[in-house]
Amino acid sequence: MFTATELNRKNRRIEKLIRLLFLLMTALLILPVLIILATLVYKGGSVISIDFLFTDPTNGMTAGGIFPALLGTVWLVSVALLISVPLGVAAAIYLSEYAADNWLTRLINLAIINLAGVPSIVHALFGVGAFVIFFGFGTSILAASLTLAIMTLPVVIVATRESLQAVPQSFREACWNMGATRWQTIRRVVLPNAVSGILTGVILEVSRTAGETAPIMFTGAVFFSPFLPQGIMDQTMALSLHLFVVSTQVPGVPENLPYGVALVLIAMVLLMNSISIAFRMYLRGKKKW
Amino acid sequence: MKAKFFSVTLLTAGIALTALNAGARTLIQNKGSDTLVNVAQAWAEQYAKIHPEVAVAVSGGGSGTGIAAMINGTVDIANASRKMKKKELKLAEKHGQNPVEHVVGYDALAVFVHPDNPIKSLSFAQLKQIYGRKGKFSKWTDLGVQVPGCKNQEIVLVSRQNNSGTYAYFKKAVLGRKGKYRMGTRDMHGSKDVVDLVEKTPCAIGYSGLAYATDHVKMVCVAKEDGGPCVIPSVATASDGSYPIARPLFMYTNGEPQGKVKDYLDWILSDVGQCIILKKGYAPVNKISCE
Repeated sequence: MFTATELNRKNRRIEKLIRLLFLLMTALLILPVLIILATLVYKGGSVISIDFLFTDPTNGMTAGGIFPALLGTVWLVSVALLISVPLGVAAAIYLSEYAADNWLTRLINLAIINLAGVPSIVHALFGVGAFVIFFGFGTSILAASLTLAIMTLPVVIVATRESLQAVPQSFREACWNMGATRWQTIRRVVLPNAVSGILTGVILEVSRTAGETAPIMFTGAVFFSPFLPQGIMDQTMALSLHLFVVSTQVPGVPENLPYGVALVLIAMVLLMNSISIAFRMYLRGKKKW
Repeated sequence: MKAKFFSVTLLTAGIALTALNAGARTLIQNKGSDTLVNVAQAWAEQYAKIHPEVAVAVSGGGSGTGIAAMINGTVDIANASRKMKKKELKLAEKHGQNPVEHVVGYDALAVFVHPDNPIKSLSFAQLKQIYGRKGKFSKWTDLGVQVPGCKNQEIVLVSRQNNSGTYAYFKKAVLGRKGKYRMGTRDMHGSKDVVDLVEKTPCAIGYSGLAYATDHVKMVCVAKEDGGPCVIPSVATASDGSYPIARPLFMYTNGEPQGKVKDYLDWILSDVGQCIILKKGYAPVNKISCE
């Protein structure tokens, strides 16, 4: 019969304590999220209405809605995704499925890590120099979205590569043994099994892209534009910049307006996240291992 | 893959739409001074109502930002609350640009203090002692006042970031051509930020365009000479030239304005456009009557 010694009991007590302490710290993480959401809903909830979402700002941006900014953010995010997802997925497929472990691959990996570490304001200035001036796109959705795409590329690459590598090697080997080529294997077996992971990367990218201000304020987003963007060469308002503008630049803005804009921005990101999470859970349900 | 097909379609549609729209609408790019940005916004908003075929896109960033964009040729109209420097004009010429200056209004630079601050008037000499590099006044008691709620009576200097036209004009007007600001000023990124900080800080003094004044800050009466008569900043005193820190506000175009840009500038200088700037708290270029 095993009896607990004094030392055993002591260890168990410490174990419990540590566990509780760490649980508490984890719970603390939820706190800022709750406080932010509660503040935004409490202070900005009153301005939210269908009209607020779908009308233009009026009266020197102190009244009216945010439609041009909302639509602008949708434009910026969509175009950025169209650029970075194909590019990022292709790069990740190469790195995970084709590349040999040599100096070039290591250099590419290093470049990706460094790209992820570049501050967004540096990306912004790069965007001005490269896309606005050198390539001559001017300040436009195209230039802004390219800047955003480059900034978020590492997220897509890393997430895609990890999810590709999570597909068991035996799947590939089975496929090759049946006489399939490398590309056929990737196309029919590896990619379909990795979609949920790739999607995670895309979600992260969307959230970050929608919220960034620095990379777009010099490259494509404007303080005010009375018209909706109609193409990728137009300039546009954007939610994140609009939030900055109404909270610091325009005198006489009612107090609840900036909170309302922030609430819409965060709700938009959360909505996109939850749609993708639901989709991911559905896909995961179909996973074969 | 359905998603891929969808995205390709969307991209093609986007490009097609851009191509189709290229001729349908004129875009005027308008960028620069944070002092002018709210007026520029109001102009753009009103102009869109009468000329839906012209889109004026407005951005801020400061006079320096607008002028840099003019030099790089990325704007149609640059807003500035100061004149372009000789160096900048030369640089513009080097880039093949030919900036032409248009005065679109006048702005009185008001000096703000906390409403609890008992000070009534300040002379240029006093402002120089407060803001200047070698100034002697660092406490409110040096000016002979006790500010309630201000610990140590230490003056908190609020200024602007150094690419701001407001920063440059105040420096030239008050500290002199070679004057320098004292170290340790709080440099805010916008006129509204200056007013917001002064409103919350009993010890503070700051300057901004008159248009940014609120009921929660006090405007100081400014005298050109010690003991001389002081003038309270207002649209009227800025227009008639009696307020000593008033400055012209500029819009720069590349060459003499033409076509839609000319129409827009003409409209800005018309009674309708000038009434808008007046309503925003700036002085119009000409005497006008607005309802």
